[in-house]
Amino acid sequence: MNLATLVATLLTLAIFSFLYRENPFFRFAEHLLVGLSAGYFTVIAVQGTLVPKVLEPLKAGDFWVAIPFILIILILGRLTEKTRPASRIPLALVIGAGAGVAVPALLQARILVQLSATMKPLHSAASVLVLLGVITTLIYFFFSREHKGWWGRLASVGTWYLMIFFGATFGNTVMSRISLLIGRLEFLLGDFLGLIK
Amino acid sequence: MRTKPRTFAFLAVFLAVTFPLLYPLNISDRVSPEAVKFKALVDSIPGGSLVMVSFDHEASTIAEVRPLGTVLVRHLFSRNIKIIGLSLFAEGTAIGNQVLSLVAEEFGKEYGRDWVFLGYRPQFQAAILGMGENITNVFPRDYYQNVTSELPLIKGVSNYSQIEMVVSVADGDLGYAWVDYAHSRYRARVSAMVTAVMVTSYMPLYASGQLAGLVNGLKGAADYERLLDKPGAAIRGMDAQSMAHLMILLLIVGGNAAYWWNRKK
Repeated sequence: MNLATLVATLLTLAIFSFLYRENPFFRFAEHLLVGLSAGYFTVIAVQGTLVPKVLEPLKAGDFWVAIPFILIILILGRLTEKTRPASRIPLALVIGAGAGVAVPALLQARILVQLSATMKPLHSAASVLVLLGVITTLIYFFFSREHKGWWGRLASVGTWYLMIFFGATFGNTVMSRISLLIGRLEFLLGDFLGLIK
Repeated sequence: MRTKPRTFAFLAVFLAVTFPLLYPLNISDRVSPEAVKFKALVDSIPGGSLVMVSFDHEASTIAEVRPLGTVLVRHLFSRNIKIIGLSLFAEGTAIGNQVLSLVAEEFGKEYGRDWVFLGYRPQFQAAILGMGENITNVFPRDYYQNVTSELPLIKGVSNYSQIEMVVSVADGDLGYAWVDYAHSRYRARVSAMVTAVMVTSYMPLYASGQLAGLVNGLKGAADYERLLDKPGAAIRGMDAQSMAHLMILLLIVGGNAAYWWNRKK
């Protein structure tokens, strides 16, 4: 067993100790994770982005990259009260450009294509169920008319669809979380104790 | 006194997971149609083609995403398909590189010719859209600081039009971003391998055909391993998964029965 396995084992046990109650070992492991993640992200961002995309082009005489670089520095203005207004310029650019890029793309991918997928010929029971689900769920979220009478009954069918969706999502969540537990126990039983070959 | 049932539940799940890991039960499992379709999709890609694999996940979901990534890379290399790896999540960078390196070594694949790892790029929208125009502009250097345009695999590859398929191994909604930008705008063929917790969110994209393929969590990875006849970490975990589910069902039934019993009294 190497040092890395030992460290990973101790940290895994420290995190698992939360199942008993909150304690200093758990808090140490938790803070270590946050600190390491931030440090790792910084190194990756500097090495993988700042150096090849900004510093190297600047060295090579491409001064256009100085503009985004200045904007990066302006974002750091948020750190003090006095310089905070300067950070609004790059933030406005990021939000504006981000929204401009995202709106047409999302409209196409998540609304238009999804709508056309619902409008396909009703050849099978599945497509009828999908159509019924879309209509009744939309009715459930239509609040301008009181959910009474036949309208209310359709809305309650929509509620059933939502409940089935939540149930399926929760079932998958359980599966996902158990997978994480399996991963840790495989590590403890295999890499640490050597009980699994 | 209140902690007793809680402790019992933890212990019961712990035993349900540990026992099958130590003593495999070989519970038979039906292979999902999604995994069958995904394998067929990869089988339809001609040898020598390029596939982009994006490791869009954090380290915390490694138990699910590593078996998914590993089984995919194994299948691609076994068919002599070349791989461009990258990550749009900083923490996925090291895991993605580790998966590719280990499997490449297993298949005797050469870095730069059979596979490359471009590393991480922040701002996923800009990265995905940028690669639709020119990959080397977005990644002037790879993970190992090589000049990307000088790598033999990348020479002659400018954008998604030379790539047969993009696969996002994701634990969040970055797979969605590939559909929103790479598929919708550049008509790239996109597939996703996602953690089970995310699969219901991805199903509408799969049903509409925006996602060419979808593999669901550890169960999907186990199905894929079965289809390739290469048992690995995922199949080993499925016995434990089944036993844990059974235990949770028993706990739910037992908990409800106890509640009704106490109410009656």
